[in-house]
Amino acid sequence: MRIVIAEDTVLLREGLAGLLEDAGHEVVARVGDAEALLPVVAEHEPDLAVVDVRMPPEYSDEGMRAAAEIRRGHPGTAVLVLSQHVETRHALELVASGGGFGYLLKHRVLDVDDFLDAARRVSEGGSALDPAVVATLVSPRQEDALGELTPREQEVLGLMAEGRTNSAIAKRLWLTERTVETHVRSILGKLGLPISGDDHRRVLAVLTYLRASAV
Amino acid sequence: MAGRKPLYDNEPVRTALRLAAWGLALLAVALIAGGLVLDRIAAGQDVEEVGNVWLYPWLLGAVAAPAAVGALIAARRPRNAIGWVLVAGALSLGVVLAATPYAWVALEAHPGSLPGGSWAALVSSLWPVFFAWPLAIAFVFPDGRLPSRRWRPFALFAAGSMALLMFVLVVAEQLEAPFSDAPNPVPLRLPDTLGLVRPVAWLAVFASLVVGAAAVRIRYRRSAGIERLQLLWLAYAALLIPLGVVVFLALGESGDAVVGFLLGIEAAVAIAVGVAVMRYRLYEIDRLLNRTLVYAFLTAALGLVYASVSLLAGVALGRGSTWATALAMLVVAIAFGRLRSRVQAAVDWRFDRPRYEALRRVRAFVEDVREGRSEPEDIGETLAAALRDRSAELLFRLPASDAYADSLGTVVEPSADDRSVTTVTHRGQEIGLLRHAPSLLERPDLLRSVLAASSLAIEIARLRVGVRLQLAEVEESRARVVRAGYEERRRLERDLHDGAQQRLVTLGIVLRRLQRSLPREARILGPALDSAVEEIGLAIDDLRTIAAGVRPPRLDEGLAAALADLARAAPVRVDVEATGERLPAEVEAAAYFVVCEAVTNAVKHGEPSHVRVEAVVADGALRLVVADDGRGGANLATGTGLSGLTDRVEAQGGTLRIHSPRGAGTRIEAELPCGS
Repeated sequence: MRIVIAEDTVLLREGLAGLLEDAGHEVVARVGDAEALLPVVAEHEPDLAVVDVRMPPEYSDEGMRAAAEIRRGHPGTAVLVLSQHVETRHALELVASGGGFGYLLKHRVLDVDDFLDAARRVSEGGSALDPAVVATLVSPRQEDALGELTPREQEVLGLMAEGRTNSAIAKRLWLTERTVETHVRSILGKLGLPISGDDHRRVLAVLTYLRASAV
Repeated sequence: MAGRKPLYDNEPVRTALRLAAWGLALLAVALIAGGLVLDRIAAGQDVEEVGNVWLYPWLLGAVAAPAAVGALIAARRPRNAIGWVLVAGALSLGVVLAATPYAWVALEAHPGSLPGGSWAALVSSLWPVFFAWPLAIAFVFPDGRLPSRRWRPFALFAAGSMALLMFVLVVAEQLEAPFSDAPNPVPLRLPDTLGLVRPVAWLAVFASLVVGAAAVRIRYRRSAGIERLQLLWLAYAALLIPLGVVVFLALGESGDAVVGFLLGIEAAVAIAVGVAVMRYRLYEIDRLLNRTLVYAFLTAALGLVYASVSLLAGVALGRGSTWATALAMLVVAIAFGRLRSRVQAAVDWRFDRPRYEALRRVRAFVEDVREGRSEPEDIGETLAAALRDRSAELLFRLPASDAYADSLGTVVEPSADDRSVTTVTHRGQEIGLLRHAPSLLERPDLLRSVLAASSLAIEIARLRVGVRLQLAEVEESRARVVRAGYEERRRLERDLHDGAQQRLVTLGIVLRRLQRSLPREARILGPALDSAVEEIGLAIDDLRTIAAGVRPPRLDEGLAAALADLARAAPVRVDVEATGERLPAEVEAAAYFVVCEAVTNAVKHGEPSHVRVEAVVADGALRLVVADDGRGGANLATGTGLSGLTDRVEAQGGTLRIHSPRGAGTRIEAELPCGS
């Protein structure tokens, strides 16, 4: 796997690179800020970009914005964002936009195998969302509500979790799209996800499912 | 006349004029002094009708006053005829007044000792020259010119009639008293057929005096500002005449006393003219007039009261009883204070309506302030209304600083404009500035009395404005301190996350790489490294907990996100209903910490099973409610951690309410203005 790393703390950057190289990956470029990241991604078209959230010059969410740009401009490059603390705003949007994206707290790196696994999963088009983020987004009550779903609804939710659209799910289950929509609405209702015009309800439903299946 | 340099503008000419003025004045004084000496000599020879010593000061004053004032004016303002008129008047008086004792000595005391005794008697009989200079002043006061061209014939008539009278006296068959026995040394005589000329001349002089008075009156009507004050001074001196007559009638005096009185009036008029022309203390006239009127009325009224009470009491207690006198005195003493303010108000009302109205308005306002019907800060508007000056603006001098503030408590730099500025003082201390139309300076008495009447209100307003400003400063500085606190927390949180945590992660990675690169025979170290990394993980967890306590990073995502985390971490069920709206960072921070402390407090002291948190935006304020079903009884005073809440809320300009009946839960409500 060809990887670029964007991380402003030099020691940490080198440590990460070493960890990935130890695992047999090829780190093709290492940069210290988000501005330098985009050109190297364009140049190398890597399989994965590992990006720190806070980077110069503002130390706010440069990494997150760069990640969104990479996902838009270079669909072939997956992004794994590393953050010092839980932040849900952009993470949810990126996860919702499809696979090839991961968001982990930095210290997850210390569980080396899990980290490498997440990196592999993301680069293969999957998602990885830090359990702490999921815990922030999903309340225990919603998890309990999973048990109330019918087998068919469970099935639909499972397919949703694989990132499939309603029409794809309809094809797979030999249902009409309208029926799938009804199922989705029922799922969201049972999980108690607020109706208030939120694009992320579907993602939250998936997250609930993923969290429950992880436990 | 343009381009022609007036004669007076030459320095030598001016010096000469000055010397002439003072020289003539000195001459006049020397004449009267000599006359007094001669009078003593005549008195030594027991000549009748001389030697009345108490008349001397009046004689001296009647000459010295116009002489000094005239010389002063003539020396300073040689172009103003008034100075010269006064000097000439003093001189003529000096001559006439000195001639009388000269004639006495020459004709009676030591006959033949002095030459020209009968000529002196003739000069002495020219006493109506007394009227000459006041008459001239009446026409040309205060600028030394006639009121207008049309007055020229009247002035000529007055001069002519005076001259005619003098002429008639000079050629008279018989000299004036007391020298009617002395022969007239002038050989010329009027034919008997012209005997009527004498009363006609007298009539003409009296008519001239009336015309002169009319000239002053007309001038006064048309005058404004300073000229009006000048004329008032003259009128004030003239006012002494009727007053003096009343006093004389009351005392039953006559003869020399009347002469002395008339001389005194001449002196007084001369001094008044001097004050008016030199504009020295010109503005005192209003107060002087006012006081004179008040005390004249007061004296008359108290006299009346005294007379009637002693009369009535005399009837009741017996004539001449000391009790009647004592009672009358008592009544007068009691009546004095009351009567004085009444008379003052009446005089103000009748003679000075603006002052009366202004004082009434200001006093009513002060009374309103006392009764709590008005705010003392409105004194500025009241002053503007009372002084009838819309441009009037009152600035309060702030206590403990040199700055000025308006009634709203805004610090103002009094910049110069075309308004005049009067300092307001209270107990010798400057308490403010009144900026007003310059025309008010012509009524300094009005300004002074109105400001004096309002000084207490101004002082109160000033102190209140000062206290309010200081409070605002203190609140501002508290808000700054609290804001700085939030900033500091943010910085600390960043340092923990971006600094210490990163280092620990880096250390962990190093250990992990070491572990993974261990040769087979060293794998025994694996578990030790595992537990080392595990320890690092725990340290990171601790660090994250601490950082979140310092400032939850999720506050960056908004209050709702931060409060949701707070609820999740709480040991009891916490339901949050929070606005998704983004608010200013310090409002969000304040709200978060208020809720955080309130929930912590509830859990710690109230043992609730359920806490409800609300954060909604309404009417430009964030309304926070933290309600629990715990024990209640929370109190700001008992130090159960709630006083910190008050500080936080008030620093943000908000309000905090606590409702915590014992046994029925605690409800904390806070409102933070958020400007949205």
